[in-house]
Amino acid sequence: MLEMTHVSKSFRTELVETRALDDFSLTVGAGEFVTITGPSGCGKTTFLNLAGLLETLSSGKYFLDGIDVSELKDYQRAKLRNQKIGFIFQSFNLMPDLNLFDNIDVPLRYRGVKASERRDRIEQALDSVGLLSRKKHVPSQLSGGQQQRVAIARALVGNPLFLLADEPTGNLDSHTALGVMELLHEINDSGTTIVMVTHDQELATRSQRNIHILDGRINSEEINDPTQKRTAA
Amino acid sequence: MFFYYLRLSALSYKRNPILSSLMVLAVSVGIGAYMVIFTLNYVMGGDPIPHKSDQLFHVQMDIGSPGQDRDMPRQLSYLDATALFEANQASRETMTSKFAAVLEPANAEIKPFTIDGRGATADFFTMFEIPFIYGNAWGSDADKNVEQVVVLSKEINERLFGGENSVGRSITLQENQFQVIGVIDVWNPMPKFYDVNNGAFNKGEEVFIPWALVVPLKLSRSGNTNCFKAVEEGVQGFLNSECVWIQYWVELTNSNEEADYLNFVNSYAQEQKKFGRFEKELNNNLLDVNEWMIEQQVMPDETRILSVLASMLLAVCLLNTIGLLLSKFLGKSGEIGVRQALGAHKGSLFIQHVIEAGFIGLIGGLLGLGVAAIGLEGIKVLLGEDMMMTQWIQLDTTVASVTIGLAIASTIVAGMYPIWRACNINPAIHLKTQ
Repeated sequence: MLEMTHVSKSFRTELVETRALDDFSLTVGAGEFVTITGPSGCGKTTFLNLAGLLETLSSGKYFLDGIDVSELKDYQRAKLRNQKIGFIFQSFNLMPDLNLFDNIDVPLRYRGVKASERRDRIEQALDSVGLLSRKKHVPSQLSGGQQQRVAIARALVGNPLFLLADEPTGNLDSHTALGVMELLHEINDSGTTIVMVTHDQELATRSQRNIHILDGRINSEEINDPTQKRTAA
Repeated sequence: MFFYYLRLSALSYKRNPILSSLMVLAVSVGIGAYMVIFTLNYVMGGDPIPHKSDQLFHVQMDIGSPGQDRDMPRQLSYLDATALFEANQASRETMTSKFAAVLEPANAEIKPFTIDGRGATADFFTMFEIPFIYGNAWGSDADKNVEQVVVLSKEINERLFGGENSVGRSITLQENQFQVIGVIDVWNPMPKFYDVNNGAFNKGEEVFIPWALVVPLKLSRSGNTNCFKAVEEGVQGFLNSECVWIQYWVELTNSNEEADYLNFVNSYAQEQKKFGRFEKELNNNLLDVNEWMIEQQVMPDETRILSVLASMLLAVCLLNTIGLLLSKFLGKSGEIGVRQALGAHKGSLFIQHVIEAGFIGLIGGLLGLGVAAIGLEGIKVLLGEDMMMTQWIQLDTTVASVTIGLAIASTIVAGMYPIWRACNINPAIHLKTQ
């Protein structure tokens, strides 16, 4: 589903070139829940941006759902992002002017879905995160946890193949964070592949596989038994 | 998606009302000022008789001497105008000149007053398609028989006869009785193409009489009289002189007629050379209405200067708008990043922001209409009521449409750089930092 081979990503300024990812190879299979951990600046977010087609590779190959994305044009990458990837961000990134319904509507608009189908899917997505009754509210009227649930609903409304989550619980208290994690596991259980970047080792152990990155390379990889942890929690 | 983007534009306006309003203000001031000058140019530079302006030709003959460093005469001398008219070579033709006279109303309570009049041969009315309320123009017989008939303007008919049908009644003009045979409707071609000597934008005449009466009644000429040689004394001396003071128009319906008539004029000039006249190389012109307006530069220099100034003001306002749009669009980098993550490509972001810039332009244009309306009222006050064009200076549908269209288009053009910058942000940076 997601296959990166010898991928490198460099950022160049006038004075210095920084290699954020170096000879990075990773494969994530369908239905997996993979966490990416590592110290700040190790390349976690760069990996997520590359995986989400928000950045281009400096070198290497990247296949997403069997498609070589290395040479795709901007509109082709945008279409792939829209159809196959859902994003969840640490700071939710909801649009403050739009109500919940309209926030979730955004990816469907870019996909050209008809109005009646959009309405059904948005309401279904909001219902799945328990916020249907607040669809006319704007984000500022919600708590942090609720906003992240809306962001998850927005990520899911287009039925993506996989979710990319960048520290989704980083701005939440521990209790709310657990709730969000439970929701992510439920989504994963329903078949959606999840790749989550986190600083939290405890959360990392709840995934099926934890990839530890150091200096832009995979430093270690752990296979977990998330079922036990989730039951214990 | 158009209406979706339009709604986003309205929301974006609400999010930054001060910044957005500053942009609207800049656009409205720039466009409003520009449209004031545009309206003046539009009124002054329009085709005064669009459906036949290419069939009406002003006759110009160069009677100057080789040693004289003078522009080609605008008008014809009495000798030449009379000769052309008697030759009767065009399907329609008129010789005409403006005069001033004292009108003595029949109603003793109204004091005598000076009016502007025009002497013209009969075709004047049909050639220029002058509309009548009552009666008709005189025919060629009245020209030949020197009949003392008069056609009144609607305004003077209201003043003298309260707007009633005055056909058959009499007026006293320069101590001579004239029988009213017609009253014309409001007729103010803009510019007043048939006689630019008396102000291309001044009011039209109040009475019209057969041309043949102008000389016998010794009516005072109005307008320019330019003499190219010394003038002998007396009326006859003036009529025989090389002084130009008569406007001469012919109606020619196709290019063959035009060529034939020019040949005729040249032949006439060639003939006159035998009598020692037309000393220069043949230099006669037939210019249609629009060519004549351009040749005579009816647009005052001031309007050109004002056009430049208004364009500069518009440019300054749009430069300000560029800065403000840049600030606004780059302030939305976070939202743009999120939209890219959710599937927006650069093309869709470009369209969204073009519509947003157009939305600002639309509001600026609507406000600009108000600015232009106020500016035009100011212009009317400056010009005064004597200028016929003040009646025409108004925001009609065309001017309003151009105002809105120009505001939208110029704001979109001004927005190109900010839009390009906004569409090329790196979403990854803004998603992390939003």
